[in-house]
Amino acid sequence: MPGKTPDKEPVENGGYRGGKDIEMKEKDEQEQAASLKHKGKKAAKDGEDEMTVVVPPSKKQSSVPPPNDADGDVAMDDLDKADDGEVKVDPVVQAINDIKSNFALLERAVALFDARFTLRALRSISSIRKRLTPDIIAQVISETYPPTSGAHFAKSLLSAIGKENVPLGRQPGPEMEIDSEPKASAKNGPKKENNKEVIAEIDIFLAILVQVYLFDSKAYQLGAEFSQSLCDRIHSLNRRTLDSLSAKVYFYYSLFFEQLSPLPPSSQSPIVSIRPTLLAALRTAVLRRDIDTQASVIVILLRNYLQTSHISQADLLVSHTQFPENAANNQVARFLYYLGRIRAIQLRYTEAHEHLTAATRKAPSSACALGFAQTATKLLLVVELLMGDIPDRATFRQPTMEQALHPYFLLVQAVRVGNLDSFETIIAEHADVFRRDGTYSLILRLRQNVIKTGIRMMSLSYSRISLRDICIRLHLGSEESAEYIVAKAIRDGVIEASLDRERGFMKSKEVGDVYATREPGEAFHERIRACLSLHDESVKAMRFPMNQHRLELKNAQEAREREREMAKEIQDGDLDEDDLGGEFEGM
Amino acid sequence: MADRQLTTLCDQLKSPTLPYDQASTLLSKAKLLLLQSNALTPSPASPPSLLPLARELLELGALHSIRARNAPAFIRYVDQLEPFYSLPPGHPAAVSGAAVAERNKITGLYLLLLLSQSRYSEFHSELESLATREGGGSAVDVEGDRYLGYPIRLERWLMEGSYDRVWKAMKKGEVPCEEYGVFSEILTTQIRSEIASSSERAYPSLPLSSTKSLLFLDSEGAVVEFAQQRGWAVRDGQIFFPAAGTEAGEEPEKDVSQVAIENVLGYARQLETIV
Repeated sequence: MPGKTPDKEPVENGGYRGGKDIEMKEKDEQEQAASLKHKGKKAAKDGEDEMTVVVPPSKKQSSVPPPNDADGDVAMDDLDKADDGEVKVDPVVQAINDIKSNFALLERAVALFDARFTLRALRSISSIRKRLTPDIIAQVISETYPPTSGAHFAKSLLSAIGKENVPLGRQPGPEMEIDSEPKASAKNGPKKENNKEVIAEIDIFLAILVQVYLFDSKAYQLGAEFSQSLCDRIHSLNRRTLDSLSAKVYFYYSLFFEQLSPLPPSSQSPIVSIRPTLLAALRTAVLRRDIDTQASVIVILLRNYLQTSHISQADLLVSHTQFPENAANNQVARFLYYLGRIRAIQLRYTEAHEHLTAATRKAPSSACALGFAQTATKLLLVVELLMGDIPDRATFRQPTMEQALHPYFLLVQAVRVGNLDSFETIIAEHADVFRRDGTYSLILRLRQNVIKTGIRMMSLSYSRISLRDICIRLHLGSEESAEYIVAKAIRDGVIEASLDRERGFMKSKEVGDVYATREPGEAFHERIRACLSLHDESVKAMRFPMNQHRLELKNAQEAREREREMAKEIQDGDLDEDDLGGEFEGM
Repeated sequence: MADRQLTTLCDQLKSPTLPYDQASTLLSKAKLLLLQSNALTPSPASPPSLLPLARELLELGALHSIRARNAPAFIRYVDQLEPFYSLPPGHPAAVSGAAVAERNKITGLYLLLLLSQSRYSEFHSELESLATREGGGSAVDVEGDRYLGYPIRLERWLMEGSYDRVWKAMKKGEVPCEEYGVFSEILTTQIRSEIASSSERAYPSLPLSSTKSLLFLDSEGAVVEFAQQRGWAVRDGQIFFPAAGTEAGEEPEKDVSQVAIENVLGYARQLETIV
């Protein structure tokens, strides 16, 4: 059943599932990139991207033959060529420089031991992504690696993109523009002198770029093989500055295997075979306190298990691992979603509801991560219904969600009214959608809720109603069924009523005032608690520059010294003149 | 050699009337043989010709242990069968043809067992994985299957409270095969206590005669016995339920103020840290 895949992207959203995850990252970027230096470039590129549609493919057709047939790339190249005519900035050089500017970030990350620089480099991937071609990657590789050191790894990178014959440590030249050369080599020259060894971070960063390129060009088999060897390599490296990079590598690694046939819902899917690698990676990550990899591998594993419907394994994984507390927000959101899904299947709706609410709230609100938000919201709606709540009408009005949630809207309507008939027709009509969303089996469980709501409606509207009428209204099989069902509803606290067996009717009790119960208090308490924990979390999330407090101390010291000096001065000489003098006069 | 021995063992085990202790000795002999010929769990090293036989033996073992009402043994067999069922379709020992029905029968029994032990979360986890299971190439129509549909329907009826339907499904020879009947007894006691607990809340009182049909009991004497078990008072042909509601209602009432105080104290503490 294809609907089993935990977060299949709805068609309305377009694009494959992988895109969603990546886009969640992209969103990050947009939020946080404000201070970054590549932001300007990126924004410009985005702008150009939009323009792409209008710019006709005009001149310099010959410069770089786009090897990638994705429209984006073609259009981009065209545009860049057009651009090139005016501004004299070559897109290839631009892309290469963009990639290389990240090397500096990575080097700084290693030197200063600050993971933030690495993250910054990772964020730029999505802006570079659209412009990647084998030529660009090959050129960067050949310029970065001197032929002596690291040649083996560089060769493997090159062979992955089908450019084995590009020599290392030299300008490849032929298909590149001449004016790119001085710039590139100028940038390249000093670098080679400074560090003879290319750091592992740059290796992996380039490898990620290769992965991204392979994924975008749909070379899944090749990508899977490449990722496999890459994972082996990462496993042998033990560098803390590599953590966030390797997390990314594993992410693409599993993404490649998901695309290989037979596709995931089948238990023969190749994703089953990557579990040992991932589990080994998880174990190593935990031992090394590598939070990034730990979080992302746990999420990947959960997704892996859920795709093949191995619920109990997923549950065991959750119970045997501890999700790192300060993991990246996006990973937390995903983890909560999968956790919510497991709990929903296990009928632990309250927990599922909690996790899913958190997941939808933590989901990035920008349009990039819409797929995730939609999928999580769908599941949340179903869980809410299963808990006997009716979801908020406003959820369905959001313009981004309206269309995707439409079948669920109909479903909610049916459940709200307690109409079994329309409930069944909606299920039958939209079965495909529900199956694709992986909510089908959960929705089938809703039947009892529909009945319960129906009974509740009836108990609210009639003070006394015969079982026969209930049976007819709710389309139940028989009067006896109706009796048992109503009795169960009474026991479960769905309605306040009593049954009279001899005369065969249900008598509703007077409905009490809700405000006399503890319910409002509880709801209030819930909200206060949410606010307080929000406050706590935001305090915890505050980040302080590392040595700032010393600076402050120094300032304080200086201030104290100044004060002391002033006091000294006052004592020494100036005291007679103004202040003290005045006082004396006053006396 | 081992091959022939296993076949004879398998034939011997096929008789459903075989007493359980005899069957279990035969089974342990068979399992030893399988282990020696490396076929107890499918692995690349195991001889492919023996694997279907191994699966059949394990299935027979599962059925025998169900007939003997030995749930732990049954679960062990189901766990041992799991690797056989998840073999890829191209595999020589993969489930296909007539074996599909046998497999579904075992899985259905397992589901029923979970149901009778009220392990609903495992029931649903199992159900979820059924949907992706392959049965001779295409996905199985889980609900339409004779063996699998039965526990699923039962679960649905139990959940919504149509106990009469459950009752009917268990009685009138609607059980897909005799092994399923084993669970009827357990499930009957289960639904009876369910009905009893809902009746306690739903009815102020009940006449003895109709309680009989309500609880699916055979005679009024049985009703009285049952009533005494649950601590119900029987007077003038009527059953009166102890007013359980009042005591239960008292307890949380007290809590309300205490909870409120605790909450407010909590807020105060929190505010202090904020300000």
